[in-house]
Amino acid sequence: MNKIEKVKKERKEIIADSSKKKPNNTHIDEEVAKQKSIYHTKIIDMKEETNNVKTFTLSADPDSDTPYLAPFKAGQYITIHVTINGEDTTRAYSLSSSPSEANKNKYKITIKRVKDGLVSNYMLDQVKVGDKLDISKPAGEFGYQPIIDEDNVIAIAGGSGITPFMSLAKAIMEGIYDCHLTVFYSVRTYDDVIFKREIEEINKKSKNVKFIITLTREEKEGYLHGHLTKEMIEPYIKEFNTILMCGPKELYRSMNDILNEFNIPRKSVRYENFFVEYEPQEKITYHVKVVMKNKIEEITCKNDETLLVAMEKAGIKAPSLCRVGECGYCRSVLLEGKVKMIGATLKKAEIENDYIHPCVSFPDSDIVLRLDI
Amino acid sequence: MNYDYIIIGAGIGGLSAGLNLAFNHKKVLVLEKNSLPGGLVTTFKRGRFEFDASLYDLMDYGSDTHIGSMKRILKKYNLEIETLPIPYNIRIKSIDNHFDEVIKGQIDDWILHLEELNSGSISTFRNLLPILKEIHEALLALKKGKKNFEKDFPNFIKYLDKSAYEALLDLNLPTNTIHILGYLWIEIGSPLNKLNFIDFAECMYKYIFKRPVALLNKNVDLSLKLAKRLEELGGKIYYRSYVSEIKDEDNDKVVVLKDGTSYRAKEIICNVSENYVIKNLIKNNYILLNQKENARTLSMNCFVVYLGLNQSYQDLKLYNYRYYQFQNINSMANIKTMNHFYHHTIEAIVPNIVNESASPKNTTILILKTLYNGDVWKNITKENYYKTKELLANALIEEFEQAFHIDIKEYIEEIEIASPFTFARSVNTVNGCQFGPMRLGYDNSIHRILSYECESIPNLSFVGASSLFGSGVDNSFYSGYYITEKLLEKESRLKDE
Repeated sequence: MNKIEKVKKERKEIIADSSKKKPNNTHIDEEVAKQKSIYHTKIIDMKEETNNVKTFTLSADPDSDTPYLAPFKAGQYITIHVTINGEDTTRAYSLSSSPSEANKNKYKITIKRVKDGLVSNYMLDQVKVGDKLDISKPAGEFGYQPIIDEDNVIAIAGGSGITPFMSLAKAIMEGIYDCHLTVFYSVRTYDDVIFKREIEEINKKSKNVKFIITLTREEKEGYLHGHLTKEMIEPYIKEFNTILMCGPKELYRSMNDILNEFNIPRKSVRYENFFVEYEPQEKITYHVKVVMKNKIEEITCKNDETLLVAMEKAGIKAPSLCRVGECGYCRSVLLEGKVKMIGATLKKAEIENDYIHPCVSFPDSDIVLRLDI
Repeated sequence: MNYDYIIIGAGIGGLSAGLNLAFNHKKVLVLEKNSLPGGLVTTFKRGRFEFDASLYDLMDYGSDTHIGSMKRILKKYNLEIETLPIPYNIRIKSIDNHFDEVIKGQIDDWILHLEELNSGSISTFRNLLPILKEIHEALLALKKGKKNFEKDFPNFIKYLDKSAYEALLDLNLPTNTIHILGYLWIEIGSPLNKLNFIDFAECMYKYIFKRPVALLNKNVDLSLKLAKRLEELGGKIYYRSYVSEIKDEDNDKVVVLKDGTSYRAKEIICNVSENYVIKNLIKNNYILLNQKENARTLSMNCFVVYLGLNQSYQDLKLYNYRYYQFQNINSMANIKTMNHFYHHTIEAIVPNIVNESASPKNTTILILKTLYNGDVWKNITKENYYKTKELLANALIEEFEQAFHIDIKEYIEEIEIASPFTFARSVNTVNGCQFGPMRLGYDNSIHRILSYECESIPNLSFVGASSLFGSGVDNSFYSGYYITEKLLEKESRLKDE
């Protein structure tokens, strides 16, 4: 027999000697490895934090095909899927619970009422304990990074921007992270303070975590007053610091000026994006043709709303996750037309190949969009 | 909807298969679960850095003078990629052997350097080169289906059943030189006594004669270029299309997506592993496929730390393109140390050395990698997942700093960590083994090619890193081309009959 035949025969024999059953050689944990795009949960508790803020405790729905929840890092968000008046939409909320709660298949999100906010009003007014809620897996890059971050962490929170830091505070209290955290929490009045009791308790108990609240529109004993200033923060600045910010854009602007005075390097400052603002000079309604895999739909989109919102209003099940242009989950190809894109994180090749992120794209002409769904 | 061919997965293998079929006017549909093509040949952004997830050295693309197969095939489709040459610039260190050397300059410098280290290297290495060429030509003849090609390639036949280690000893290379030359085994993932010499020789041939190149643009640019051309040629790609089942219906194959939509074709080509497909997508029992998979060993697990550094590589003193540290330069001894979380084998790549535009001015990208052998990750659950990742990444960074006396940590602006779980999630690779089944013993690429005809299954083929030619973008790409050529031949044969 020639050598080629011999080599083939040897292989054949080895294969013929092995089990005929389907292979069963997966040894990595399925719950970590196979993260789903949708997890089915139930709301098991609702807690009123202020007049306009509620914390929802979500638990994995044991009767669904996702009887468990994925792990997360403090600072990450989930995106909730809701149907309001027949319209499917999503919103991203930072997780406010400790990452260890995920091990018990529980998450907490804290939602503040937004004026005319479709989803926040729905969640605060309509939803009850026992209701089902579909959510995404945890996502986002914001948070403490133990390898590169400094031991002294200064968090700057504005309004509902406190939520990721509550998760981080709990993670530090539980020993998940070993660092010192000072949270400067800027809020209008005493009544607007979210997590009052928890903050008090943490301040009493913890050596590593401290919350400092400043009330911008009210003077009250035991609280700072006014917008954050260099003087307020200075006592907490050490030789090396990591700054994490979550709040409205104005807060970032004013903070950047302050931080410049402390000479904090770029790599030590990070912030979470969760607002997309765009005000066109003149309001126009454009035509949008959405080319999907097996159908084409023609819809309209006003130039002060995003293409994603217009598609959702028209009943197109467009995918979305972060809704601030970062994650790329909604990416689509702009076949024709122009858009105004606010703060999208695009890869170089995405730009060259006409990809846009509809969650932050406002039409600037009639549009033809390719969206593979 | 009916197609001639449906391809599951728009990785490089799937795109390559789709390109060849579309080029030959076949009605082809590629179904991809992600929203961009490329599989692991993609990028991700963190701050001001855009990181390539996997591909750094493109083998078998070659240059205008030494044209590689990938370049040649792409030319057919009127596609060209902008590339940059990768010089020899490698630092290799071995702890047990007190070995710390830099390979730099041209191939002749390298040979002289080997001679200095181990006398007798120069002549034996020179004798090796024509054998590498002969084996390369034998493989070409084999792939082209030439009959009785054996007699023209005696060395191919001689070494067909030999491991790389046996063969190099037989060729009288000094033992130490064999181990140094064999450092590339880590890219293939099999130690030299399990790696077949034909596989090793082909890899060496491409490495020495074609030379690897780097992409001028980022990974995803290549993937998008292939995808775009595929569509221009009349093929279709549907993204966000997660395949949940492949079934048989009236002599057709039906591919069902998670959302319930289904597509029909005569032939299915999977750019996911056989292992994944038989476990997750098909209900039928293909005994041969089951046996094939059960006999195999999955490749090692890869763990990668992507770092964006806020200094130039010159300022950081990162002078080499690649860094390797082994516990022992002998791959057979070294691989035994890799069955634990904490070992000393590391690999580092500084893309900026080859491509100044890899990251913004005065910044550097540093990729640190290591491999784990066996089921090291089996006790990782959601309770300890993030903590473990952080600990391992930290250990890897510190190992690199200590091994090469280069400070990194204080310059890290962005960090991302990819574990086997990350790879499992992004491209459905079983156990996160992104290199597919290990090329070892009876299951090296050469064995898979020789037995391809008798192991093939009606209307179901496989391309990509887990298939015939093994991992590596060049191999994945070639698998897509090779398999579709075979299928097209079969089609025209049937037509003639």
